[in-house]
Amino acid sequence: MNNPLRQIVDSFQRYQQLPSFCINNTFYTYGDLSKHIKGIQNQILESNPPANSNIGVMTFNDIETYASILAILFSGHSFVPINPEHPAERNEAIFEQGEISLLCTSETIHKDVSSKLSGVKVLNTKNLKFSDGEFLFQVKENDLAYILFTSGSTGIPKGVPLKVSNLNAFLSSFFKMGYQLNEKDRFLQMFDLTFDLSIMSYLAPLCVGACVYTIPLTGFKYMHVYSVMEEHRLTFTLMVPSILTHLRQYFDEIKLDELKYSLFCGEALYEDITLEWAKCVPNAVIENVYGPTEATIFCSRYVINRQGPNKNLNGILSIGKAMDGVVLMVLNDQNQQAAINEKGELCIAGAQVTPGYWKNEEKNKEAFFLHEGTRFYKTGDLCYTDESGDIFYSGRVDFQVKIQGFRVELGEIEFHARYFLKSVAAVAVAVQNDLNAWQINLFVESDQIQKDALMEHLKAHLPAYMIPSAIIPVPIFPLNTNGKVDRKQLLLTLNKTNIS
Amino acid sequence: MSHIEILDQINAIFRRVFENDSLQIQMETSADDVDEWDSLNHTVMIVEVEKHFNIKFKLKEVLSFQNVGDMVNIIHSKVTSA
Repeated sequence: MNNPLRQIVDSFQRYQQLPSFCINNTFYTYGDLSKHIKGIQNQILESNPPANSNIGVMTFNDIETYASILAILFSGHSFVPINPEHPAERNEAIFEQGEISLLCTSETIHKDVSSKLSGVKVLNTKNLKFSDGEFLFQVKENDLAYILFTSGSTGIPKGVPLKVSNLNAFLSSFFKMGYQLNEKDRFLQMFDLTFDLSIMSYLAPLCVGACVYTIPLTGFKYMHVYSVMEEHRLTFTLMVPSILTHLRQYFDEIKLDELKYSLFCGEALYEDITLEWAKCVPNAVIENVYGPTEATIFCSRYVINRQGPNKNLNGILSIGKAMDGVVLMVLNDQNQQAAINEKGELCIAGAQVTPGYWKNEEKNKEAFFLHEGTRFYKTGDLCYTDESGDIFYSGRVDFQVKIQGFRVELGEIEFHARYFLKSVAAVAVAVQNDLNAWQINLFVESDQIQKDALMEHLKAHLPAYMIPSAIIPVPIFPLNTNGKVDRKQLLLTLNKTNIS
Repeated sequence: MSHIEILDQINAIFRRVFENDSLQIQMETSADDVDEWDSLNHTVMIVEVEKHFNIKFKLKEVLSFQNVGDMVNIIHSKVTSA
């Protein structure tokens, strides 16, 4: 697929009568969606924004929100998704930083947000007049396609802009992965629209004329995900691994025969639960994909051997090899390419890499560098490559802590804890105690653990400096809005729990 | 065990799981009515209810719960048939 975004336009022409989206059990054909896009584009044109402006989209689970994203992109502008449920202060910072002067919304904006929007023109996308004819498609490779704001360590959101060329590079590599997909396929879209995994979840299906199935924003995410997968016999799903944790106790009741591809991304994927899941999806290819927002959605993949064994580190499946057009390199402490099996920071080059953080030169100097003439992005992920080129994730560079002068990888502690607990989830977090010394707390997702026996097991397998100071049972781990285990929230539970 | 008795016992579990001692649930109460009733607490609550009544819900049953009454009815049918 040479120009995948252009391919979407072909889908609109070829599949007018076929469903493009299923939202709250209502189907919208490509023809319906096209009318929405055209209507919104007319409104945007009336506002006459400068070329390639950043236009905000309030994210709701409705056809107008998805049509707004496409209308903005196809008009040659870049979209900035904004979640109305996020704190008003954070959203205000995004408006300001992103220099957003036009905002598409399908619902009335809460006054906490609207009071902060002086100078922003609000374009209501509900009940617009439809007009016939084709929508505009004036997409230029060098223009920005979208900006996503992620939380920065300073507390101020950090803008990650991606160009049309980045997005086309991702979609091209995606379609080179060998998936057999066509207009009969049914894709899951389970992600918050401010999270880039959502972008694959709705754009890839549109490239082949398939249908996107979204889930409601209220209620319980993992239940909606399962219900939609089962009821609509989905054929392609991209999920975060935490969904499996919630569904695990029901695995023996789950059989999704029609699922062809089951992809996981966003956090560590464990081999044990993945092989159990394989029995629920007997005909699916299961893959672990990896990538930071800065390198457009994802950029490496590992295909799981359903019978096992699989390449893993401490039970966490390999993230595999680079996708087409992507260069992955592990850089060691001496800023040189690491040897085989030597750990270092994973760096990414290629057409998927962002042009740089939005108006943040300081951060750009830290995160991007030239190596033998090629520009690389430093992911902050600690990895190594084995002799056949598969890459293993072993934690964040930041999470690599020194305890009593020893370098400690928290994943290793988690692995031994999980082994003893028979796959119950465990998360090790390094915290500074009252004396400013670092100590390790081990959170265990269970309300009935034998702490003493677990401690004995850890002592038998780990050196003294790696033994946690506290083992804290938590019935269920908190997840953040992206569905990942929320380490900050976990630390907050410390205040509620008696540490022993 | 009557529906009312089951509801009373569930109420105690809800108060504990949702850390809200004044919580008073009815058959019609749903997740929309209780601030603390999020997906995390929901999973914890289901496990606690299963332990308390010594039953196991099917996935289909859990998915069908629209409100507390739906759960009470299923618990009732499980404990009376046991």
